[in-house]
Amino acid sequence: KFWDDEDIAPEDEVDDTDNLDDEAERAAWKLRELKRVRRDRLAIEEKEKEREEIERRRNMTAEERE
Amino acid sequence: KQHLVNTGETGEVRRSTLEEVEERFEWLKRKRQDEKAREVVDLGSRIEVARE
Amino acid sequence: MAHQADARRHLDERGYTGPLIHNDNPLKLFEKAVRDRVVDSYYWKEQCFGLNAATLLDRAVELTCIGGTFGVGQRPTPFLCLAFKLLQITPEREIIEFYLGKAGEEFKYLRLLAAFYVRLTYEKGEDVYTTLEPLLADFRKIRRRTREGWSLTHVDEFVDDLLQKSRLNPRTFLEDEGIIEPRESALGEELEELDGEGSEGGGNAES
Repeated sequence: KFWDDEDIAPEDEVDDTDNLDDEAERAAWKLRELKRVRRDRLAIEEKEKEREEIERRRNMTAEERE
Repeated sequence: KQHLVNTGETGEVRRSTLEEVEERFEWLKRKRQDEKAREVVDLGSRIEVARE
Repeated sequence: MAHQADARRHLDERGYTGPLIHNDNPLKLFEKAVRDRVVDSYYWKEQCFGLNAATLLDRAVELTCIGGTFGVGQRPTPFLCLAFKLLQITPEREIIEFYLGKAGEEFKYLRLLAAFYVRLTYEKGEDVYTTLEPLLADFRKIRRRTREGWSLTHVDEFVDDLLQKSRLNPRTFLEDEGIIEPRESALGEELEELDGEGSEGGGNAES
């Protein structure tokens, strides 16, 4: 409709119709969402670790000074 | 036609309000529902024709 | 606050008096090469001329894919052209939120168009997160046009990409500063249950 291309596969090769298999679609989403939650949690943990490490070093130098 | 009204003679496009956006949306939504309903009817009658 | 129908005039430095986003003409949020491709495209000239926030819906509900440019000529997709048009219109926030919400519920490609616009234009990171994160619960299928062909993605994946692949302040920073609350997953109570099931689907479900 918008323009014709000969070199590229037609768009109907990818079906974007929803609710064909609602249960499977929902399950696939749950998995994606779970991965996002885990990724974000990991980012928080990393940051926490970094902060602890900084804290540890700061304490060390303080002790050494004594 | 719409764009000629919108752009007028100044070359400026008139801004639309939220209400106009909502109205347009409702109209497009109804239009799509009607089209879908018609498709179902068409499909139904085609199946009947095939059966006969 | 009407905009110039002609994008070239809109881009003319001397003449530009419209709203500023990130302290600049919003059309410049697209690189010059991309702008030129959009403005030269047939779709832009034939289908986008003179649209306002209401009539843009006519085009947006016809969208069948997302994407940037495609093919050897790196032609812009209608999605990209309409995003550029939105930058020209700079609709009020309540209109964008209507696109994302009620209208987006009905027309999934419109929702993503508005989401993309939000990511480009909202100036506060916390606004971007709080506006877009609810869409992570929308798992409708989305067709994406790439340089090589077509692929399948989902509303939630596209939105997540918008939030991840960006120069936004990391969410953790905004949380530390007390600017936003931690995100509530739409999984809700189910999360613990799923989480308890171990990591069977956790690591290698990349698709």
